[in-house]
Amino acid sequence: MASELSAAPALSTPAEHLFEHVDPVALAAKRSEAHSKRRSDDELRAIYEIARTAREIKNGGWKRIALQFPDSMLGDAPWAVQALSAELASLPAASTEAASTTAAKPERIYILADTSYSSCCVDEIAAEHADADVVVHYGRSCLSPTSRLAVIYVFTQHTLDHAAALDTFTDEFPARDSSVVLMADVTYQDHVATLLAELQTRGYTNLLATSIIHDPTGRIPNRAIATDDPSAVNLQDYSVFHISTPPTALLLALSSRVKSLFILPTVPATSSSTPAAHRMLGRRYARVLSLATAGIIGILVNTLSVANYLASIDSIRQQIAAAGKKSYTVVVGKLNPAKLANFAEIDGWVIVGCWESSLVEDDSMFYKPVITPFELDVALHSDETRVWTGEWWGGIEGVKPFVEKEKAEGEEKNGEGEGENGIEGDISGEESEPPQFDLRTGKLVSHSRPMRRIPKTAAEGDAPAAVGEVAAAPNSSTLALRPKAELATVNGVVSPGAEYLRSQRTWQGLGSDFVEEDATAIEEGRSGVARGYTVGASERT
Amino acid sequence: MDKPTNVRNMSVIAHVDHGKSTLTDSLLAKAGIISSGKAGDARSMDTRADEQERGITIKSTAISLYGTLPNEEDLKDIVGQASNGVDFLINLIDSPGHVDFSSEVTAALRVTDGALVVVDTVEGVCVQTETVLRQALGERIKPVVIINKVDRALLELQVSKEDLYQSFSRTIESVNVVISTYFDKALGDVQVYPDKGTVAFGSGLHGWAFTIRQFAMRYAKKFGVDRNKMMERLWGDNYFNPKTKKWTKNGSYEGKQLERAFNSFILDPIFKIFAAVMNFKKDEVATLLEKLELKLSAEDRDKEGKALLKIVMKTFLPAADCLLEMMILHLPSPVTAQKYRVESLYEGPLDDEAAISIRDCNPNGPLMLYVSKMVPTSDKGRFYAFGRVFSGTVRSGLKVRIQGPNYTPGKKEDLFIKAIQRTVLMMGGKVDPIDDMPAGNIVGLVGIDQFLLKSGTLTTSETAHNLKVMKFSVSPVVQRSVQCKNPQDLPKLVEGLKRLSKSDPCVLTMSNESGEHVVCGAGELHLEICLNDLENDHAGVPLIISDPVVGFRETVSATSSITALSKSPNKHNRLYMIAEPMDEELAKTIEAGKISPRDDIKARARILADDFGWDVTDARKIWAFGPDTNGANLLVDQTKAVQYLSEIKDSVVSGFQWATREGPLGEEPMRAVRFNIMDVTLHADAIHRGGGQLIPTARRVLYAATLLAEPALLEPVFLVEIQVPEQAMGGVYGVLTRRRGHVFAEEQRPGTPLFTIKAYLPVMESFGFNADLRQGTSGQAFPTLVFDHWQILPGGSALDATSKVGAIVLQTRKRKGLKVEIPTVDQYYDKL
Repeated sequence: MASELSAAPALSTPAEHLFEHVDPVALAAKRSEAHSKRRSDDELRAIYEIARTAREIKNGGWKRIALQFPDSMLGDAPWAVQALSAELASLPAASTEAASTTAAKPERIYILADTSYSSCCVDEIAAEHADADVVVHYGRSCLSPTSRLAVIYVFTQHTLDHAAALDTFTDEFPARDSSVVLMADVTYQDHVATLLAELQTRGYTNLLATSIIHDPTGRIPNRAIATDDPSAVNLQDYSVFHISTPPTALLLALSSRVKSLFILPTVPATSSSTPAAHRMLGRRYARVLSLATAGIIGILVNTLSVANYLASIDSIRQQIAAAGKKSYTVVVGKLNPAKLANFAEIDGWVIVGCWESSLVEDDSMFYKPVITPFELDVALHSDETRVWTGEWWGGIEGVKPFVEKEKAEGEEKNGEGEGENGIEGDISGEESEPPQFDLRTGKLVSHSRPMRRIPKTAAEGDAPAAVGEVAAAPNSSTLALRPKAELATVNGVVSPGAEYLRSQRTWQGLGSDFVEEDATAIEEGRSGVARGYTVGASERT
Repeated sequence: MDKPTNVRNMSVIAHVDHGKSTLTDSLLAKAGIISSGKAGDARSMDTRADEQERGITIKSTAISLYGTLPNEEDLKDIVGQASNGVDFLINLIDSPGHVDFSSEVTAALRVTDGALVVVDTVEGVCVQTETVLRQALGERIKPVVIINKVDRALLELQVSKEDLYQSFSRTIESVNVVISTYFDKALGDVQVYPDKGTVAFGSGLHGWAFTIRQFAMRYAKKFGVDRNKMMERLWGDNYFNPKTKKWTKNGSYEGKQLERAFNSFILDPIFKIFAAVMNFKKDEVATLLEKLELKLSAEDRDKEGKALLKIVMKTFLPAADCLLEMMILHLPSPVTAQKYRVESLYEGPLDDEAAISIRDCNPNGPLMLYVSKMVPTSDKGRFYAFGRVFSGTVRSGLKVRIQGPNYTPGKKEDLFIKAIQRTVLMMGGKVDPIDDMPAGNIVGLVGIDQFLLKSGTLTTSETAHNLKVMKFSVSPVVQRSVQCKNPQDLPKLVEGLKRLSKSDPCVLTMSNESGEHVVCGAGELHLEICLNDLENDHAGVPLIISDPVVGFRETVSATSSITALSKSPNKHNRLYMIAEPMDEELAKTIEAGKISPRDDIKARARILADDFGWDVTDARKIWAFGPDTNGANLLVDQTKAVQYLSEIKDSVVSGFQWATREGPLGEEPMRAVRFNIMDVTLHADAIHRGGGQLIPTARRVLYAATLLAEPALLEPVFLVEIQVPEQAMGGVYGVLTRRRGHVFAEEQRPGTPLFTIKAYLPVMESFGFNADLRQGTSGQAFPTLVFDHWQILPGGSALDATSKVGAIVLQTRKRKGLKVEIPTVDQYYDKL
């Protein structure tokens, strides 16, 4: 089967994509590794935490193990497999119960390369292909809860120049009583405790350290504040000192929750300067506004592993439907502009994925805006209730189960138009829904709620029938004049997608581009031999 | 109003401070709407508090008046149109004079057929007089003129009779020059002549005005000659020789200068009254009053000075009578006007049901109603749709089709169906409910405001096309971003922005790429008023308002140095394009809507070939206009014999719309760029050349072509006209030079020490210009600023970050939260 396919199928990720679309964090990791190219076995053992991993595997009694590497670490994968299997073989079976049943069987280790969505998430689908019991996830992770498999996280610790970090800190916060939360990217988490201790010896009194927990919806995503009573801490009073550049999603989420955010870069600053967080939030708001008047929204499934993603998709669907808009659900694997632009009829996308990868940075490449479920929720609010405080959240964890609150509102609206009867000179047809004001362009748009018309068309279908019953039984075979400009339907369901194809596409198959030119009368051409042609009637020599 | 022949719809238009609202007052007093004592001071058409405070009109206001001709005889003087009885309905709209509010004038002109042009005796024809006249003629509106503030000439300047005559005739001449420049065959000759009665002279403040016709009627009896003959004699080089008792065209008799008939018969009595009253000669006043058969109440007789003057003149020559008479006699009724206006009003074919009904002003035809603006109601957030019934009859409860500006017949886009809740008559700041309104009248509608943003067509005919969209002479080029102080107030701000954008015909409220809500206005004053309204009225929440910024446009200044090439993500499709600058004239023509994507392709190609030197084959192969499918950028197909080309057209056009909406330099819209598709190679399988492959590629190749063609920024430029006395001219020049201004004309106003300076001033430099100018000339200069054109921002290449233009690009990118570096060609250009 695979041998028959000479090239990748059209919709898959092109090979170059891997190298073009690396996220900055991965890029940073890559660079930091590049300069210590060949490391000794001991170093690697420490980085990949072989001993701890092997121990945990033994404890869990797992037999089929999948190792998931981010692209930048794939080079070390064979070594890691060797080291791990050697380590496993050397360890005695820990749990007696497991030992009795499965001791004879050696562990099998698989390498998962080319993750389906993003390297920060655990790729459960790929792991299931290998029928794995456990996934060992290397590199930085978004720590989103998984739905099926057991996971061992290995963050692959990086080194940090403590002296420089301390100096930067003292430069940035000269006051010894400044309230600061120390935070680090997961790959630098080890250094937090030591830094805290050192800073406290320097006289800082009001510092808080953080530790990793698996809770993306926490006040600081995935971090617990190390204090006796975390709820008493008002984050608004604290600055955050973050070691290594955080993923943009974290940056945006934190920016509104804390007083200020200082980032200690761990790689020499690249030439591209990142715009300030509030500018980025502003751009996100612009995206939100453009989705507010979108008629057709695509739901992009960008994970198959984050817990309750199915429930989230359902809830988002209902939300969209309640707003009178049409939704299509699309699974495309890793995102790129070419894939999304294939669906030109869709006005905007919402990503269902882990909280870090849901944010598409630099979406200027995309034909239509791509937003997160949180932003969609804001966008679907009516103009009267939409509030943008700067609070931001990336993932699907915040998606609440859909509550039907719109109903009452809708009924209220219907009542308004009643009590008016037709007058002579009227034109036929139901009264229309008022158009929506597009805050992006300052114009009125009428296609923002294509699905609102469904009950209307149903009602229209009933009305003539009712009239018909009085006069004569309605006959299904009688010819009825179909309103010309009615929306396209597929199996009786209004389909804005089909409507788009019908009305917006100029090319609709062979023959549709035939240019009709004026017919001209046939004229007699030249005839004869080279010695003397005859042109028309007259003879030439 | 049921007799359209006896309806006159007219707007009062003029330069700022020439006395429109004051003059309108006297008409209102006549109709009994305000007391005659107040007339002249009340400016009752200025219904808003800030209008009264600032003493300028901001919104146009409509009112319906009842007028009647004193006797049946006068009906004979209504030339060229029928009328039915001596009772007339006059729908009058008072419009603002300040140039920033020209859009209000446009909206007023659309619904009227005639215009009363007010000109200040002393200042003469000013910039805005010219602009509004041009607009009026463009809409096929017939003008009549009143020369206002004659009292100033008499009291302040103390001119002689002959000088006053000369000043009058000069002003009339300059009005006629403007009129004849915009001569329209269908409208015919609409120049104004005092001896035909289409020019009045008067003083709005004092409430008096006259036309030659009125004096001619007085003297016709006395001399026993025909009224019309008398009118001719009372203007121009006509003299009455008191010795020979004969009329002559010769100004001198026996070596002595004769007095012009206008001076001796018309100005003389007025001068006498002025002299007598102002010099406190009681007896003389009494004899004069007797002579003129004027009766004053005892109370009035005891007045002195200006108060007495006002009362005497008002009794002698009541302004309202004169104006009403002039309007009724010389302005067209809807029946007359719609005959020639239909072709400039209606977008569709002139022989369809709607067009014919408009032409005949038929109250029984299909409804055709143009809503030209929205008027706020006392109910906050709701609006009256203010418009003119061109055909049919509109009544409460009627279900109509509401067609927005983008409606095309047969399509559902921008079409709404809704019943009209109520119809009302607009009476200044108030409204009167009314059952129905037939063709030819101005009306306010309740219940359809949600369906229209600013303007639109209402009809009951399913086949009707739109009435033409109004074209404003001003563009919203000055913008400020707004933000609410408290984020929880956002919904109120959003609601406020919606209302603001409805309440003003010109203002644009939108949000930009960086998520800021932006309000765009025609000028600083306009924006100030709008934001004031927004903060205090529409939104009612405290706002943070940014400094004014200018919206730029991106363009190219040369043809692409090499053909740009981009490959699709799958590397199987290649697009080759070049960008070249478009003729400025063509860009303006497209922006004015004279060349549009809806035109017939062959007719359009003909115009492009004849007027702009295009190749006919190219001109026929215009794929798209962009951005927003009607902007001034063109995508032209120059490929030869390419397979599957029509299949990818939609994708490439989508990419083109996208790219021209957000240009490569700073995501500003592009303008005046022509893109030529040179060649295309496509994959043989349809799936490999789908939208996904081509839309992003088209955008990339357009960006590459732009970046290869010396990209530049365009900045908006104001045309500034400054009236200034000679001694303050130095200051004006100083201020202009400091602000990159460029003076291109300077002329003295004949008969005055005033100079008119015309200059171009970049909008960017215009912030605070007025204050600066006031300071530089100790308040003697009066500027008017109106958007004129786009010009390439000077100061180096836009791609060079160290140049001045480059710095502005970087600043824009930073403000928008983009990557700060200016993109380079190789980000978009692919090597073969």
